[in-house]
Amino acid sequence: MFDAAMAVVKPEMKSYIWLQTVDGSIQQVEEEVAMFCPMICQEVLQTGLGSSKTYAISLPQRVNPAMLGLILDYCRFHQVPGHSNKERKTFDEKFIRMDTKKLCELTSAADSLQLKPLVDLTSRALARIIEGKTPEEIRETFHLPDDLTEEEKLEPLRNITDDPRIRLLNRLYARKRKELKERKKLKDVEVEEEPKDERSVEDLLSFINGADGGMSYIKGTRANKNKKKNRRRKDHAKDISSENTNENDKELNPLPSAYHDVNFDNALEASASKHSRTQNLPAINFSPKFEFIDGDVDDDLDPAMKEELDREVEDFARRLNSDWPERMQILSLGQDRRLVPISMNSNGSTHLYTGFDQR
Amino acid sequence: MRREQPRSPCLTDVEPDRISCLPGHVIDQVLSHLSIREAVRTSVLSSKWRYKWATLPILVFDTHCVSVASQDHMIIKNKLLRIIDHVLLLHSGPINKFKLSHRDLIGVTDIDRWTLHLCRKSIKEFVLEIWKGQRYKIHSCLFSCQSLTHLELFNCWLKPPSTFQGFKNLKSLDLQHVTLAQDVFENLISSCPLLERLTLMNFDGFTNLNIDAPNLLFFDIGGKFEDISFENTFQLAVVSIGLYLNFEINQSRLHGGSSNLLKFFVHLPHVQRLEVQSYFLKYLAVGVVPIKLPRPCIDLSYLSIRINFNDLKEISASLCLLRSSPNLQELEILARPEEQTVLLTHTYCWEDVYFSCPVMQLRYVKIDGISGIKPELDFINFLLLHSPVLERMTVKPVANVGLELMKELLRFRRASGQAEIIYLEPS
Repeated sequence: MFDAAMAVVKPEMKSYIWLQTVDGSIQQVEEEVAMFCPMICQEVLQTGLGSSKTYAISLPQRVNPAMLGLILDYCRFHQVPGHSNKERKTFDEKFIRMDTKKLCELTSAADSLQLKPLVDLTSRALARIIEGKTPEEIRETFHLPDDLTEEEKLEPLRNITDDPRIRLLNRLYARKRKELKERKKLKDVEVEEEPKDERSVEDLLSFINGADGGMSYIKGTRANKNKKKNRRRKDHAKDISSENTNENDKELNPLPSAYHDVNFDNALEASASKHSRTQNLPAINFSPKFEFIDGDVDDDLDPAMKEELDREVEDFARRLNSDWPERMQILSLGQDRRLVPISMNSNGSTHLYTGFDQR
Repeated sequence: MRREQPRSPCLTDVEPDRISCLPGHVIDQVLSHLSIREAVRTSVLSSKWRYKWATLPILVFDTHCVSVASQDHMIIKNKLLRIIDHVLLLHSGPINKFKLSHRDLIGVTDIDRWTLHLCRKSIKEFVLEIWKGQRYKIHSCLFSCQSLTHLELFNCWLKPPSTFQGFKNLKSLDLQHVTLAQDVFENLISSCPLLERLTLMNFDGFTNLNIDAPNLLFFDIGGKFEDISFENTFQLAVVSIGLYLNFEINQSRLHGGSSNLLKFFVHLPHVQRLEVQSYFLKYLAVGVVPIKLPRPCIDLSYLSIRINFNDLKEISASLCLLRSSPNLQELEILARPEEQTVLLTHTYCWEDVYFSCPVMQLRYVKIDGISGIKPELDFINFLLLHSPVLERMTVKPVANVGLELMKELLRFRRASGQAEIIYLEPS
């Protein structure tokens, strides 16, 4: 008690508030500075704590000594009424310059002390850091785990794209990347294609901006994808009558699932049953796993094959572009009039469909 | 294509993720400083971030946030519709502010659907700007939304249902290029008891403004009206009125008619800033212009007047205001250019006009658009003679004004020893 009394009365007649951080350390702070924090102010007024070392105010867990120091610096400057707005702004701009880790900690600490102006300042700074960065960059900056599956990454934004072409291509791409990831885990080597997470998002967003940008991008990367798929194809080339259609065959697997149209599914079931390998088609689940794709470990490709693949990619992409309007029409009709089965097997339709027949 | 350093797949990140564990309301704050597009993008960062954006309290859809690179309006419109639909559907929690102001979204009826959805989400601030086309009729569901505190509409038509009881929590109302009927307007203003700010620009459908708003602090209007009066507006501090209509004064009103000036200031005892724009001074000058107001505007510190120096009545009205504002510090005089060429039909005697001159506390005076005619010079002379604490006077004439104006300005006596007169080149 005697100590407490002594602690309060200081020679220069200033009053101090005693604060204790979660690690146990106690410090004294000038009253006017500490009272600038609403939480401390409330504590002092309601409980009367803080007037001595033994009765120090316990600060919330999120406030460590380093952060407390920063916050008190902020309070010390801003509680002085004489500063002009410009001076305050200049101080804030300089104050906020710190690494991201500290910025997050400071935001958290300021929030627990209910210091709104500082929370506002730090959240704006965080927003500025996030702005304009790709997801990859943001993850790196904030050390976020990249723990979403490809599907999940596409899902929330998928609704924003309305072009079915884009949806199809995104699925193809997503499946490919998932497959690559799995192989990467198995092989423990760096794969040719990095899972470029930001790419799919960029694509999606670029589709918000206009289909063409995204489309051409997808086209460009297709070569790699197909390379791998076709290599496998070499092994199972026996049942295939034409390489051309088989190439499309693989590309087309997701096609039915892109349109969860019952009629379409029925039609496919009908055609798929002709073949030995029915895959998952009858179930029409959009599943990224297609058993026949997995397991390929052959990495070399002769140049001739490469060329052919590139040509096929172009071909497919072109067909995709030109056929879509037609197909859309077919599908939309199919929804009310069940025309799909008829058009499925007609030659007039597209090569794409014949691929299914061959399976 | 940026390549990462090769690293073994079993390497775990030792750096902790500090941002994801910030409280929800803080993350909301961070994301609300980003455009809607950037905010939604965070959903692919990690599993924790998948739905962090979905609790954003502020949703802004404007030409910046959602840019669609296409020339076809239909495509842009459709994309925009889908985006808004999906964001609203995927959103969870209350929405505090919603702003829709996109160049290509013109009068689509989907806005009605969104309005209904927002009303169910306890929307507080609703901003709708229809850039082009016809006035958009606001859906009646908005009128039963009692959570609104700020309503901002541009190019809309308001026709509330007969059951409309007002917005009980509305503090700020901003209507520009709107159509509403006379009774709708009056009912709207008087049934919003908490209204503090009212902005009204370019309106039609009503011509009499009767502002009954006990909590009103800020009032800014510009449009065509016949009559304006205040009621119970004792807290009104900032008033800016522009009458965009050069009305013809009814001759019978000229003689012995009640002064608009008197009527106007009856309910504005505490006005601090007043802007009299376009032809509003002409309106105020209707009737017998008093020498000074019965109750001085002691809080008035800033006054801006658009004046026609060829109209004696307007000069009298502005003098009345100056006599009644003992604490006025800043004055802005803008001459109405189109009428400057018409010379005063009758000459006047200085003493007849400039009598009962008060000692003014003016510090800063700004004069714009004058051409050097006698009434203008007299007025400036008057200001200089009766402003002992004047610090600066800026004079900016219209183009093609000779040196005579400057010569006259130099000659005038000044009551203030430290007054600077700054002559600005006409732009």
